Amino acid sequence: MMTGKRQKKQVSGRHIVIRRIAQLFFLVVFLVLFIRTDYNGSDHLDAGVNLLFRLDPYLAACVVLGVKTFIALLLPSLVVIALALFLGRSFCGWFCPMGTLLDLCQKIIPAKNKKNGTYFPNLGLFLLIFTLISSVFGFAVAGYFDPFSILVRGMAQAFYPLTNSLTVEFFTFTYRELPGFVNAITEPVYDVLRAWVLPSAQKFFQLAYLSSFMLLGVLFLEAVQRRFFCRNLCPLGAMLSFISRNGMLASHGGNVDCRSCRICSKSCRMGAIDTERKIDMGSCNLCYECVQKCPRGIISFGFSAMTGSKREVSLSRRKLLVVAFAGFLLPSVKSVSVLAKNPSPLLIRPPGALAEKDFLQRCVRCAECIQVCLGNALQPAFFQAGIDGMFSPTLVARTGYCEFNCTLCGQVCPTGAISQLTMQEKHQSKIGHAWFDKNICLPFVKGISCMVCEEHCPTPEKAIRFKEVAMVNDKGKAITVKQPYLVDELCIGCGICETKCPLPGRSAIYVTNAGEHRHPDNSLSTYDGYS
Amino acid sequence: MDRRKFVKEVLLWTAGLGLGVPCLKVPLLAAAPPPTLGVAIGKDYPLLVIKAVEAIGGIEAFVKTGDTVVIKPNMGWDRTPEQGANTHPLVVRSLAELVLDAGASKVQVFDYTCNEKRRCYTNSGIIDELKKVGDKRIRWEHIDHRKFIPVDIARGKSLKRWEIYKDALSADCYINVPVAKHHGLSRLSLGLKNSMGVIGGNRGKLHHNLGQELADLATVVAPKLTVIDATRLLLRNGPQGGRVKDVKVVDTVIASSDPVAADAYATTLFEMQPKEIASTVAAYKMGLGEMAIDKMEIRTVQV
Repeated sequence: MMTGKRQKKQVSGRHIVIRRIAQLFFLVVFLVLFIRTDYNGSDHLDAGVNLLFRLDPYLAACVVLGVKTFIALLLPSLVVIALALFLGRSFCGWFCPMGTLLDLCQKIIPAKNKKNGTYFPNLGLFLLIFTLISSVFGFAVAGYFDPFSILVRGMAQAFYPLTNSLTVEFFTFTYRELPGFVNAITEPVYDVLRAWVLPSAQKFFQLAYLSSFMLLGVLFLEAVQRRFFCRNLCPLGAMLSFISRNGMLASHGGNVDCRSCRICSKSCRMGAIDTERKIDMGSCNLCYECVQKCPRGIISFGFSAMTGSKREVSLSRRKLLVVAFAGFLLPSVKSVSVLAKNPSPLLIRPPGALAEKDFLQRCVRCAECIQVCLGNALQPAFFQAGIDGMFSPTLVARTGYCEFNCTLCGQVCPTGAISQLTMQEKHQSKIGHAWFDKNICLPFVKGISCMVCEEHCPTPEKAIRFKEVAMVNDKGKAITVKQPYLVDELCIGCGICETKCPLPGRSAIYVTNAGEHRHPDNSLSTYDGYS
Repeated sequence: MDRRKFVKEVLLWTAGLGLGVPCLKVPLLAAAPPPTLGVAIGKDYPLLVIKAVEAIGGIEAFVKTGDTVVIKPNMGWDRTPEQGANTHPLVVRSLAELVLDAGASKVQVFDYTCNEKRRCYTNSGIIDELKKVGDKRIRWEHIDHRKFIPVDIARGKSLKRWEIYKDALSADCYINVPVAKHHGLSRLSLGLKNSMGVIGGNRGKLHHNLGQELADLATVVAPKLTVIDATRLLLRNGPQGGRVKDVKVVDTVIASSDPVAADAYATTLFEMQPKEIASTVAAYKMGLGEMAIDKMEIRTVQV
């Protein structure tokens, strides 16, 4: 790439500019893909909106180890591994949108502590090993720590809907309170934002706080140390670090002739340069800061066996054993959790979701399905799915329902945890079952014909029907009323009845996961028979 | 009428002060002449619209040059045209073209959908047809929740106050273009039921006394012209259907300035009596229109 010559300083300055442009470019690409993770007017999504997650070799490794099967969807992650083999952690320095956001945060909240040493140089590696091993034993929590999962979750479940809510509030104010000439400017701006930036409807999320705190936490750690997350925590970074350290790219750092000059190590955002001015290729993310700043212009990178250091990985055997043991123990405790005996009936998975065990092994908590869900039906689970099921998608029908003709969640799932369904498969895919609460349902309690659930029931032959019944209402008057009932074989559990039930608060019809097709033990005795 | 002025006036009306404002008041049909109905039958759906409207005096009777017009189809469901749950796209398009030819300055097309709004607009086929007209005066837009304003329904017996979409009230000419179809609770969904697409709030609540509340709503949401798309009738599993075998093709379009008469006539296409539809009866009793078929002047045109 470069040889260390003083006159090359100009060129290295150009490297930084190119790197920054690349960072901004990929950040914009990421944001565009994020916003495009939405209905586009056709039943099929733009290809590649979930590309970021399919590029992630850390998630790929955990998923493949978990399900012990080859997954073609995750092949693009090999590109990132190859990149690390040849160009070190350039992915972290040049591509990663989280890294770019952190570098931007550094401009706003500069780290107080300029000390070069990384606080917990092995923590990311521990997390990596722990999650890999626990995945093998059926405890897939890689998504809790993966930078992209944290980023997209925080955006999808907090900051994007928040942006919408604040924007709408602002333009509602200008629309209602300000004179026409102001609106002549604000309304076109609002139209453009609506068309290109904002989501089509306001969404609401449980775990909005948790998702935002996780992302904000990662961003605010920049105030402690530059690239704190990347150096101390990121398991993907740890994985790329391991590959880069044994990869082709080597570095040529300073030497004893530099005397007391420590400019390179002080300027290094990754803490990759030690007191001997040797550059650790497992940490360096090729930001080119040191190359530009070196007064002697002697720092360079190349493919030959140069004099770069190979920092020893100081994971003691004992620590490794502890981590491995934890990776084995936690999954086994799961088998005595009460959820193993008595799973939550309210855990309704998206249509096409695999059986629960396989589903959780594959789900990387990327929030793509939650982001794309048209009806705001999918919500991140908290503990309903177990301690290892947090942030996995579950349908909360009082908030939103599964749109009958929509198959987008299966299309965006980067790992196949939700399989891609054809429209016909979707129409017949039972994810749950509706139940009436006749203690509060108006036709039963008050003798009022309501039928909002029946009206909205989307199956072409309605699963919710009604019969005309003579009854004495709560005022003692004999009346005829339309009372709804359910045709078990036709209900697919989409939840629109629960969403639209006009009662305040609790719905008089609610959906559970009873009868879901993906789970044979959960079949309804009323029509599947006792097996 | 500009927006601020309009909002101010609505505030005045809702305070019960602006009694002279014509837009929200429907005159009582005391000794009015019999309502005329244009009924066009044939395979050429765009032409049916033209002929049906022609039969009741032509579009010029409703739209003057420079008028702002709202066309309110039923496109509330994520269903395709052949499934009969939404107004036929050709009917909407033909009407839009008619209105543009009459010199309308702006034609708004919208519906507060039941399924996801973009899917409904797209799969109803209506937006695609309107795009083909290629006239910038046509605007299809999704419901903007800022435009719902609470309106007192002075003559309402059951529904006294509700949020109504501003544009539906402020347009110079509001045209209701429902599709005729089955509906579980109200038996049929016609013109009066279609008005639910311009109101906000918890709309399901209207179901609890649906016939009367639709009639109450009709006292403020009063179309100058009702064009009922009965090209296809959804006979069962309404109002959203989903099976082509539940759809009967009868190739008919009905136009009238009397919303009750239009509904009453459309009811007969289902081989039902107007008196079986609670909203028709309630609206008739309130003097909002005629429901007796033999008291209407029906001008049938075979196309």
